[in-house]
Amino acid sequence: MAGFFSHEGSGSAVGLEWTRPKPLRVLIADDQLLVRAGICELVKTLPDVAIVGQASDGHEALRLIETHQPDIVLMDTTMPIMNGLEATVLVKKRFPRVKVIILSEYSSEEFVFRALRSGAEGFVLKDDSVDDLYAAIESVAQGREHLSPRVTKKVIVGYLEGQDAGDELIELLTPRQREVLQLIAEGNSTKEIAVMLHISVNTVKTHRLKLMEKLGVHEITGIVRYAVSMGLIKNS
Amino acid sequence: MKRIRVIVADDHTLVRAGIRALLEKADEIEVAGEAGDGYEALALIRQQTPDLVLLDMVMPGVGGLEVLERIKQDFPLIRVIILGVHETQEYAIRAFQRGAAGYIPKKAASGELVEAIKKVMRGEEYVSTEISGKTGLNYGSGAAQDVNSSKELTPRQRDVLKMIADGLSTKQIAKVMNISAKTVETHRALLMDRLDIHDVAGLVRYAIKIGLIEIEVGRQSQTAKKRPER
Repeated sequence: MAGFFSHEGSGSAVGLEWTRPKPLRVLIADDQLLVRAGICELVKTLPDVAIVGQASDGHEALRLIETHQPDIVLMDTTMPIMNGLEATVLVKKRFPRVKVIILSEYSSEEFVFRALRSGAEGFVLKDDSVDDLYAAIESVAQGREHLSPRVTKKVIVGYLEGQDAGDELIELLTPRQREVLQLIAEGNSTKEIAVMLHISVNTVKTHRLKLMEKLGVHEITGIVRYAVSMGLIKNS
Repeated sequence: MKRIRVIVADDHTLVRAGIRALLEKADEIEVAGEAGDGYEALALIRQQTPDLVLLDMVMPGVGGLEVLERIKQDFPLIRVIILGVHETQEYAIRAFQRGAAGYIPKKAASGELVEAIKKVMRGEEYVSTEISGKTGLNYGSGAAQDVNSSKELTPRQRDVLKMIADGLSTKQIAKVMNISAKTVETHRALLMDRLDIHDVAGLVRYAIKIGLIEIEVGRQSQTAKKRPER
């Protein structure tokens, strides 16, 4: 645990003396159980931290957040059914007190911006060090934000160049349309999607039509390619 | 008791550290080192001669399967377990054909990891229950060979698959290939059958997965480049 306070910028007296009034409640969402178990193991070594739940997709994460009321959620990005960014948007809406740290394998500027726009307090790359993860948890627990040092420059440059929130097609979609987009790309039929989302087949069709129109795609194959390009579903 | 010396190779630092932490909980295992890419893994193996290597299938530079082949060539006694992102049998089969002793998808439960390592060190092969449970396949090298050859597409089928994934219609494909639409449909049915994929979305994902069409995450897709009118 020497690493916990050894990262840059937190060697201050505040960092060293900081104690939690009660254990920090952490929930981890990642569909790769092996990876999740490993991250769990890393987080568990922190003092005064309790893992209160583990989820395999965005829906499950939301359910478990409601049950367990964690302080912090470590959220993987690419997950089946509902990806981490979509889930984060809903977490911030339904449970504004709960803080989210995105655990991402993608570092492209567009992706980082989308992650930040989802309302997450932290952004950590899966390629960051364990100390970076600990620093993120510590910062966010104390009410601050944390951005992976590997993407800070991109974010600043992007900001200076005037990255506009509305610049990306996906921002034109409603959360529901984005949800349907992911489910189509995952190969679910209209009927299956209707059942999953508790809506009618016709409503699904309308969502599909609208989202295809907004994205300017004309076939299912275009939807899948778009979903992969946006990191909504895994491509490797 | 002599402990099993393991090297962990995965390009994501946090994932690697997590797996290391999981392994270190087991008394019979000692982590001899970590590598972040294929070259590093090979250098570390040369230096440490571990008993076993846990190898991520997808790494930048030299990929896991290539590293596996080189390990088997230079150090045939070192056992290798591949950590894959896919739960489909074909990836496991590819790994076994190149000499892996085990295959575990990252989706598998963490308990499988130590179990797999022990089994492999006893000289047996290990296939994750995530996969074997699904197919009931025998992964002995003979069976693996057969299944794989049936998975191979003909060059024609690959062409058709690529065009489907690119979004071309049956008619358009027929025109490009100078064959009838009927023949395109036959190619399509056969390739779907071979791949055991039964929806178009699945075909596109598969084409991307095997690199038939390339898509970079974070870039707007080719088809969706133009902004629609608001």
